Amino acid sequence: MADSPIDGRFDLVDHHGQHVTEQTYRGRWMLVYFGFTNCRSVCPRTLTKLTDSLERLGELSDRIAPLYITVDPERDTPEVMRIFLENRFPRFTGLTGSDERVTAAKAAYRVFSQRGQDPADPDGYAVPHSAITYLVDPDGHYVDHFVDTADAEAIADRVRARLESAQ
Amino acid sequence: MRGSNLPKTITAPPFQPGVAPTPAESGEILSEDQLGHLRHFDNISRLPDNDWSGMLQRVPFQDDGATVRYQLAYASFALALTHLHRLPAAPGLFQPMLTRLIEKMLLPTVWGYWRDVSRGGGALNSYIQRDPEWDPVARENIMYSGYLQTMITLNRYLFDDRRFDAPDSIVLDTASPFWGGSSHRFTYDRESLNENLYWQLVENGYLGIACQPNCIFQICIQPSILSYRLNDFITGGARADEITAGYKRAWEEFGQLDETGHFTCFVQYDLKNPIHASDITVNAWLGTLLNMWDPALVRDRYSAFMEGELKQAGPGELFVTQPSGSIEAQLMSPMAWVAPWASEIGDQATVDGLLAYADSHLGREWRDGGLFYRRNDTAADDLGRATLVDPLSGNVMLGYSRLNIPDGLWRLYNRPLAPDHHRTPALVRVADDIDVSQAVFDRDAARLTFRVRRRTDLPLRGRSADAGTVEIGRLGGQGEWELRRGSEIISSGTGDTLVVECPTEATTFTLTKRGGDHG
Repeated sequence: MADSPIDGRFDLVDHHGQHVTEQTYRGRWMLVYFGFTNCRSVCPRTLTKLTDSLERLGELSDRIAPLYITVDPERDTPEVMRIFLENRFPRFTGLTGSDERVTAAKAAYRVFSQRGQDPADPDGYAVPHSAITYLVDPDGHYVDHFVDTADAEAIADRVRARLESAQ
Repeated sequence: MRGSNLPKTITAPPFQPGVAPTPAESGEILSEDQLGHLRHFDNISRLPDNDWSGMLQRVPFQDDGATVRYQLAYASFALALTHLHRLPAAPGLFQPMLTRLIEKMLLPTVWGYWRDVSRGGGALNSYIQRDPEWDPVARENIMYSGYLQTMITLNRYLFDDRRFDAPDSIVLDTASPFWGGSSHRFTYDRESLNENLYWQLVENGYLGIACQPNCIFQICIQPSILSYRLNDFITGGARADEITAGYKRAWEEFGQLDETGHFTCFVQYDLKNPIHASDITVNAWLGTLLNMWDPALVRDRYSAFMEGELKQAGPGELFVTQPSGSIEAQLMSPMAWVAPWASEIGDQATVDGLLAYADSHLGREWRDGGLFYRRNDTAADDLGRATLVDPLSGNVMLGYSRLNIPDGLWRLYNRPLAPDHHRTPALVRVADDIDVSQAVFDRDAARLTFRVRRRTDLPLRGRSADAGTVEIGRLGGQGEWELRRGSEIISSGTGDTLVVECPTEATTFTLTKRGGDHG
């Protein structure tokens, strides 16, 4: 039988400037989403939805580390991510790093992203990316993922089921 | 005299899915030709391992679109369509055939090419140089893995056969004492195969999965999309919808169609370079498959693609001229995909014309009860009429076209099986010397109707202990049942199964609850 398709490892810096790996979050569930702070539609919509899901989970959400990993490390420095998330999505911790390490994290989660021209962006580019949220258990094993069409309630229900069945 | 262009414009019939009943629902009986194609698929499935008699192409290395993996896969598709639309109450006829085709698909002679193709350096990716990879499923090579996935999924979906759900049940294994080194063994199951391909799709932004390294074709991801749809039917979920929505978005960058309105054939992914194909074979192949989930686009292009392609030979006979140009174009008859496409669209006049031409001019042949068209490597005769028959056309696709129904793939993709499909009375075992030309269960009348005959002219058949019989199963819900031949009750009982001796003359039987409506 093939191994898990999602490796789940990363070696990055959080939005406080601290070095973090997937080991940093052992003992907690991770809700992992990839995006970039200049994203105008998909990321704000998904982060809003995931925040809603976490609120629906109540105290269960205390056992979850919501992580937002950038696909645009050139612009998304720790400081940029901290300001973006603390102002709008304070449940999330932003993770960034060198181009090489972000690329490795994307590969570990099988994430698609591709830098392309975007005249509407102040810097002239955007980074379209896959809009999948990953649930990783406290031992670091990928257990589920949620696609863009899953709503907040459905995500909360599936996360709750996973957490409760693991108790 | 060369074939003349047809004056008429070819138009796609309007898309009216489900308006017409299936042949099974309307009581149609398979023709002798249709039975012959099924028998040929059966004959192929029973060839000894690595006996590819009549299935090899004139080029080596399985580089072309008519090679054995495509024959095995599309014969499986043809079986699925025939079972679903024509003989839904005969799983015992189809399931063993499909299983044998899957076993052939797992033979290393079918997938061993990947060791060499995976290195890159070919005509389409000459700038890539990689170490060889043995596992034909692990990454890329959707031109094999996607078809294997679909055959496995069809087996589970149509027959509720769970053998490939077991861990390590899909085995890809090879070793050569002459090559030395260790053997190569890779195992998967239905779910791990699905997951593996799914995450490759995600990683590629849903554009597809490469066939040769870095070459993402539109065609070869379509069977995989069918697999995800059927898996959604099996286990719930909407993965196929996710994939098709992502696919549409991803192809906006390159265009599903080029500026001339033809399908983009593939993308050299790292170069972001779309490669277009104007020849009818590629367009008809993709059009056939794409009708599953994008019938509006396919119908919109059908007339334009077919414009000028069909030529008239004798009365009622149509053929398609062999395109010039690429080596690939020289290896495959455009009939291989124009006929199935017309059958999927429901352009029956074109299907009939192409098959009439094939029957008269393309080496139609019966062998061991099977009907096929003999391989012919010559492109045209002295009169300029098409004569090329590649092994995919001759063994599979012309038969496929005769067996398919309008929107046959669309129905497979869009119409889930009835919840009780695997529990209603059916022919659960069919001996190898039996032809089944009708098998349908009418839920309203609670009546199983089947038409069978025993073959005595097939020297390689009829040697097993169950020769000359079919077994009706799943009778538990019928209470006290009765079996009739015509108006005569020939058997009755309450058991869950019944073995029926089949006459040598085609004979219709009906089984109902005692005193039920025999139609």
